[in-house]
Amino acid sequence: MTLSDAGDVDLTLRAVLVDVLGLAPERVRGFVEATPLFGALPEFDSMAVAGLLTELEERLGILIEDHEVDADMLETYGSLLTFARAKALR
Amino acid sequence: MTPPSGLHYDRYQHEGRPEWLMRIGAADAPPILFLPPLFEEMNRTRAFIADLMRRLARRGYGCWLPDLPGTGESGQPLANIRWSDWRDAAAAAGETAGRGSGKRPLTVSIRGGALLDDAVDAPCRWRFAPVDGESLSRDLTRAGLVSGTHYAGYEPDTDLMESLTTAIPAPLDKVRTVRLASDRGDADAKIEGPALWRRSEPGNAPELALAIANDLEQWVQRCAGS
Repeated sequence: MTLSDAGDVDLTLRAVLVDVLGLAPERVRGFVEATPLFGALPEFDSMAVAGLLTELEERLGILIEDHEVDADMLETYGSLLTFARAKALR
Repeated sequence: MTPPSGLHYDRYQHEGRPEWLMRIGAADAPPILFLPPLFEEMNRTRAFIADLMRRLARRGYGCWLPDLPGTGESGQPLANIRWSDWRDAAAAAGETAGRGSGKRPLTVSIRGGALLDDAVDAPCRWRFAPVDGESLSRDLTRAGLVSGTHYAGYEPDTDLMESLTTAIPAPLDKVRTVRLASDRGDADAKIEGPALWRRSEPGNAPELALAIANDLEQWVQRCAGS
């Protein structure tokens, strides 16, 4: 898959959240930039974070380094989307 | 006739210590040894594996699932376990599973379990979503980065982690590999379903279990005829 714009990254990130966390698609469609993730969703525990990052790497064709992973980047939907876009669209 | 699908807790021996070997189905039925995913993925898929075992027991197979040393109800702490212990344990569980029928068990391995199935003396092997040890090791490291604990709360021995990191599913004959449709890896067949091993809420997926049981049974019959 070739990612051409920021909207593609948004859709991919929502699909990964549905698949990895087992959340309802309609719920994830309603996520806005300020929606809290890590620490706020019981489904989003530390092992789920690992799964999410692995899926993002595969579907966006990116490589995420360990030093880039911290709680801030996972805090809200907006912070995670910003990170994914910066990686995928550079 | 009601096929035997009750649950039994048998034992296998590893280095002179008894470890648990869960069985569903008759002890003298054609045996299938299940090798579960490793670490947290094991807990997340336990209900699914038990469902799969019950389905195959109803079709006349004896299904066996070991608690590897240092996991589940094992009396051993994980910190004492080396990679070779898990491989030896898989082999020992396979021998015990084959005793009642006098037949070597087929192996059904899931995710990281596929890193151990070549240690078992088996005529055929079936793998679901097999994964390299490097990928499992990275998941554990990453989970630790955000949770502030080493390896997401697990305390594996250095030898275990080093060996895990270089382990790959052994390239063998008579192996069938099945993956989820969402998985890009090579496979003999792909099946729609959720990646239960990623879910923090342990769940089951009856449709996936049924599709897998069907694929497995065909493979078992083909193996028996080869």
